[in-house]
Parts: sequence; C-alpha cells; structure tokens
Amino acid sequence: MAAGVKLYAISYDDREALAEFREKQDIPYPLLSDVDSATIRRYGILNDRIRPGDALLHGIPYPGVFVCDEDGVVISKFFHDTYKKRDSPERLLDAALGRVVLDGSGPRAEGGDDEVRVTAAVRGGTGTIRQGIIRELVVRFELAAGLHVYGEPVPEGMVPVQVDVQGPPGLVVEAPVLPPTKPHRLPEMDLTLPVWSGTVDVRVPFYPTGELASETRPLDRASATLSVTVRYQACDDRTCLLPRTETFTLELPLDVVDVPRLSIHTGHGQREGQYDALPHARRLLRRKRRRAPLGFLRFLVKQARLERAARRRARIADQAG
Amino acid sequence: MTVERDEFGFDAPAPLGHPGRLGLPEGHATGPEIGDVLPDFALPDAAGDLVRLDEDRAGARAVVVFFRSAVW
Repeated sequence: MAAGVKLYAISYDDREALAEFREKQDIPYPLLSDVDSATIRRYGILNDRIRPGDALLHGIPYPGVFVCDEDGVVISKFFHDTYKKRDSPERLLDAALGRVVLDGSGPRAEGGDDEVRVTAAVRGGTGTIRQGIIRELVVRFELAAGLHVYGEPVPEGMVPVQVDVQGPPGLVVEAPVLPPTKPHRLPEMDLTLPVWSGTVDVRVPFYPTGELASETRPLDRASATLSVTVRYQACDDRTCLLPRTETFTLELPLDVVDVPRLSIHTGHGQREGQYDALPHARRLLRRKRRRAPLGFLRFLVKQARLERAARRRARIADQAG
Repeated sequence: MTVERDEFGFDAPAPLGHPGRLGLPEGHATGPEIGDVLPDFALPDAAGDLVRLDEDRAGARAVVVFFRSAVW
C-alpha cells in the first residue's frame, strides 16, 4: 500500500488458492492463509452463525478491517451489518494516514472563488461504483488565511457548512463525516462558535445497492449522476462574505464486476473471472466435509428447503407483477 | 442457485437465509477495539513464507483485512 502503510489480507483459503488468486488478480500485497481459522478465532471474529458442515463456509470471519498505528494500537476499524458492504481501499488508506488524499483520479468539480475554493470529488476506484463498495464523496474547502466557516450549532441567521448528496434510486448516502471544529471566540458578541479554517474535508460515504448496480445481472446503465449541493458562509474576525450555495454534478461510471468461474455464479455476473476457482472450491469442500459429514448432510437438506422457499417467493412476485 | 435481494437491498446468488448470507448480528463483538493493541500473528503467505505482523510491519502503520474467501 502507498505512503508507507502496510496491508495484509487474511482468509481461511489454502496457499494454493491464494497463490493463483494473487497472480491472476495481480495483487501486490500479502494474502495470508489462516487455514484452520486460528487467527480469525483469536481475534474473536469467527462467523459463529455458520455451523460446521454448512458446505464450505465454516471458518470464515465476519469480514472487517483493523487499522493500527506505528505502535500496533488500533486507530480505526471497519465492520458492517452485512458482508456486502465493503470499504474501498482508498477509505482504508485515508484512515491509516489520518487524512483524505485527493489524487485527481476520480470525477471532480470545482467552485468557490479566490477566498474560498470548493472542490467536490469522488475518492476511490477512479470514481466508479459497484454494489456494496463504500466510497466517499469529498467536499474540500480551502480557505484563505484569516477566514473560517462554521460547524453546528450556530445562532439563527448564521450559515453552517451543509453538504447534501443526491443520487439515483439504489444509491445509499450516509451521514456526512465532519472533522472536529475549533472554538472561535467573538468577544464583542460574547459568543464562542465552532469553526474550521485552512483546509476542511467533509466526507460523505455512499454505496449502490442491487437496484442500481446489482452484481448478479448485467448492468442496465453505464453511469449514475451524483448531485452535490454545498452551502456555507465564510467570515474573518470582522466581516462575513455572503452565504453561498453551489451545486455540483458528477457522473460516476458503473464498474463491471468479475465473478469467480464457479457454477453458483455462472450466468449471474457481468464478466467471468480471471481464474477457474473450481479446483480450489472442491478442495475446500472436501476439507470442510471431512470434519463434519453429518453436518454436511443436514446442510444439504436445509439448502434444498431454502431453495424451494426462494422459488415460491419468486413465483408469488411474478404473479403479483 | 436462485438470486434473491436481501433486506439491505443487495443481490446474491443464494436464497435468503442461506448460511453464506448471514451477516454480523447487532451488538456482536468485532474483536480488538480502538485503543487496543492488535494481537500479533504468524501466518504463511501465498508463497509459503511465514509472515509475522509485528516483525513484518517493522514500525509502520498497517491495515489488516479479514475477508471471506478468494475462492468463492
């Protein structure tokens, strides 16, 4: 990973599977093999809702990410309520560096003036979007010396920084993440107000769901439009500039997702993956089945029941539609 | 397998309730917390060389990703 940050990725796959995956997907960082899930258990993140015998699944973690500082102390961590939500690598790098890197690789728009420069940019994946991958829309304010903008709360009549992001149906936009403000004292008004000065990054995490960018069927559009409305008022110690409202429009291409070449994915993805996962899946299944043969039989019965229920739901939906 | 959309709006090629689709329950612990020291580990990489977290990162900041699988 860039900028002196080390990256490690751990899974319960064997070395052979990881070696091929690493080569075919051109992965530069180490993939570590925790075949018996001992490290996953020691970290306390084994997926304990999966039972031994549940096909090849037992031993996987609740997926997530830890970021540590130079002393090995956790400074940030990422876990989600569903495994489908994943943080973009750029989000993890920013968490490790403690700042937002805007490298100009994604869509961006600029506004403001010489006193307050405003940039709206998508961070990560050169601005592309795909199901469940959390990227960030970053609004960067660059304030001339002496100027500040306001956080909340402010008295009535003053304008705090507001960022509103709108996308098409199926784009989930989370609450903005704001940096900490500094208290700014106005003695003649006997007020202390929360302000930012210098460079201020407001980060708005967002991700598409299946409605916009399903990974189980071909994409039905090439891109999605993001509309970003920014409102702010900059002041120095004596006077305030007029409040401004600016709207930026960014076009985000939808990313085509590779799926592993495996029967469960066939016909569901958008592009067949780079490598044949079947031999690795067979090995994994053998390894897991051997440990819980009865559990595996129970799983097969359960899976057949779940499949029947799913087909029934699909029939009902068809009739209703 | 049947593709179904879950309560989060995500599609996957497995029926709802399938063990492979079970996510993190609310309130479930997620390992070391902010401020804790990340437990050291020693695991083989794809080439078979043992990688020790603390030795390998050698005082650098690190991102440790636990993912589900490279196979499926």
